This record gives sequence, C-alpha cells and structure tokens, in this order.
Amino acid sequence: MVSAEEVARIIEAYPADRRFALAAMQDMQNEFNYVPEEGLEMLAEHLGCPIAQLFAMATFYKALSLTPKGKHIIKICNGTACHIRGAMNLVTGVKRELNIEPGETTEDGLFSVEIVNCVGSCALAPVMLVDGIYHNKLRVEQVPGIIDSYRAKDGEQHD
Amino acid sequence: MSELVKEQIKVLIDGKECYCEKGEYLYDVAKRNDIFIPVLCRSDAFEDHRACCRVCIVEVETRGKSKVVTSCVYPIEEECTVYTQSEKIKEERAVVMALLAHRAPDSDVIGGMAEGMGGTEGFARLTPLEAGKCILCGLCVQACDSLGTGAISTVLRGTEKRVDTPYSNPSKACIGCLSCANVCPTGEIVFEENEKTRTIWKREFELVYCEECGALMGTKEMLERAAAETGVETPKVCDACRKKAMADEMMHTYRFV
Ligand code: SF4
Ligand code: FES
Ligand code: FES
Repeated sequence: MVSAEEVARIIEAYPADRRFALAAMQDMQNEFNYVPEEGLEMLAEHLGCPIAQLFAMATFYKALSLTPKGKHIIKICNGTACHIRGAMNLVTGVKRELNIEPGETTEDGLFSVEIVNCVGSCALAPVMLVDGIYHNKLRVEQVPGIIDSYRAKDGEQHD
Repeated sequence: MSELVKEQIKVLIDGKECYCEKGEYLYDVAKRNDIFIPVLCRSDAFEDHRACCRVCIVEVETRGKSKVVTSCVYPIEEECTVYTQSEKIKEERAVVMALLAHRAPDSDVIGGMAEGMGGTEGFARLTPLEAGKCILCGLCVQACDSLGTGAISTVLRGTEKRVDTPYSNPSKACIGCLSCANVCPTGEIVFEENEKTRTIWKREFELVYCEECGALMGTKEMLERAAAETGVETPKVCDACRKKAMADEMMHTYRFV
C-alpha cells in the first residue's frame, strides 16, 4: 500500500509550482508503479491547482498509470518494421505465457504488457523490451525463456 | 472624416464596407456589422478562443492573394476583402460539419448544421463515433476553470478523449453552477433538476430560494462560494429583493427628513 509519508516525501521535493506536476507524477509512477489517487489529491493541494488538471495529465501520458503496473514492464514494439516482422506473434506468445492482454497486469503483480510504437531499432525487428532492456530479432520461441529469467531473478531475491 | 475613422482599416465583407481597428478578430468585425458567420467553439464569455471547430472559416483576399482563415481568431492587419460564403468556403465548411457530425452523431445542433450546409453524403465510409454530442471544444472546461472551480477536464486522449470529472466520480470541487452546461454548444452536458435539488456530474446539490419572493437563487454551494469570495454572509434573499429592501429603507428615511 502507498503511505501518505512516502507520497509527501516525493511531492515536497518540488517547489509549489504547477510546472513540476509532471515530474512529481513521474516520481510517483517510478516509486509505486502507478499514480495513486491520494497522490493526485496531495499534489493538487501542494501545487494549489484543481485535481482535474492533474487527472487530465495523468490520463494523457502513457508513461503514467492510474492502476498499479507490474514490477516488470514488457513492451512489445508494433511499429511498422516490427509489425511486418511478426510483432503480433510476440503478443500472442506473451499472452500464452502470462495469460494477459496488452494493457493488463498479471495477478501476481509481476508483469505488465504494453504495445508501443517504433522504439528506434527497426533493423533489429521484431523488438521486445523488458524493463528497458532490448530483446532484438526475437523469435516467439524465446519468449518463455526471457519471462522465466525474470521470474527466476525475483525468486532468488525472495529466498 | 474624423481622425478616428482614418486610423481604421477598411474591410469588405461579402460586399459590405466595414471598419475595424488593427488586430481585431475578423469574426467580431463581421458580427458587429450583422454579417453571419457560423461558430461553435467560440463564446462571447471569453477573450481567448478555443479555435478548434473550424466552422467559422472564411476566405480572405489581400493584395490579390486569397487564403482560408479561421475567422474567430484571425486578427485583421491590413485592408482586405472577405468572402464568408464563397463556393470554396461552402465546400470546406460542409466537410468540417460532416466530420463533426460523425464525431457527435447524437447532437441535433450539429446534425442540423451539417444538414443545412450540404449534408453528410459522401462520408458513408466513416463510422460515427459512439461519442454522444461532444465535439471536444473544451468550452465547458474553460468556463469551469475561469470561475476558479476546476471541477472538470478532458481525460484520456485520441479517440477515447472526453470531458469528465476525475475518476468519473462526483466532483468535490463542483458547485453546481451549470456554467459548463450553459456554454456547451452541442447540449452534451446534462443535468437534472426538481424543486429541491439539481444533479450534475453525478453530484446532487440543494437548491436555495429567496426567502422574500421565492425566486431560485442557485445551489447552496454557489451562494456559499460567492459569499466567501466577497466576504459577506450567505444571503437569504435574492438580489432584486435586497435592492428593493434597500430602496424601501431609503424612501422611509427620506420621508422623514
Ligand atoms: S461537453 Fe460541450 S462544451 Fe464541453 S467539450 Fe464537449 S461540446 Fe464542448
Ligand atoms: S518498428 Fe519496432 S523498432 Fe522500429
Ligand atoms: S468558432 Fe472559430 S474555430 Fe470554432
């Protein structure tokens, strides 16, 4: 759960000026994997602006989410090059493995899947990113292995 | 001619000689001279205009060159000739309206205008959005913000963009003043009202009536807000009754001096 102290710490790092709204929301996204409602309320108060304005921004930017995102974010590129080279097969592969559609998060909160547009690596299409790490010229058979490696990493940390 | 008139710029709008100051918006000049240009996203209530519906386009000819401009935000800089109903404008406006009609299929206002300007034939390949009546002009948000309320905003983006309160919940900031509904050109914003209450954006407000004459004064929240801003007590009687009481008192006083 998100604590009010944590939110306050993030928000109070910024002066009470509206132009810092996006930065503060990004920090919350990084910290909590989403922008919580309490966070928006406290930020609105701190900046002295209507919460509706922050909500407009929070729903506009794809980088911000109002519901908790998974610990690991899988981005599948569906730009032109990747699309032609079978990006949608990767989507199906990931779906088979995690049982979620793009835009959703697994129940255990470990993975979120998103479809994005060109990530600037067309020559290496199709491309999938996990937490910002590029997996290039990916074949659908490789997907389970990659996902497992993240699962295993988390397992180690838990032990 | 007086000094003043000499400084003015001459504009010929649909054959009518009009005069204006440098920088005045073309639409305003036309309106002052009783020349009709259709508008949707422009309201007299504001100085800065949304300029997003593009219904107000007209053709402007300056020194032999002609261009299509958005009249509600086109500042006149020099002498020019304007056509508000040229073939080109009629054609382009019809396209604009046809597109808006697909954007807001449920709006009678938009539908009627589109029909009047050439209909929506030839656009069959476009699927109307299931978007109700809103054309996303943002006038409602502007009205709400300008009053310092800030209860609504546009949310999401692209084809999902719409006007709403945060989390689609009843807004704590809203005072039920109906500014948004009144300024909306398409009648998208609905509210309900009975004798006791008014409901808008899912929130119910208590209505207050004048203790003297029984006229509707607004919602409790509206009166409280106005009172807080002017630093007076929340009024119990309407403006008219207050003035009348004052006048009566004055008459009373003067009768005895
Ligand atoms: S609800 Fe009305 S005023 Fe608000 S954006 Fe839509 S059309 Fe414009
Ligand atoms: S299309 Fe995927 S990287 Fe360019
Ligand atoms: S009235 Fe000018 S663009 Fe809408």
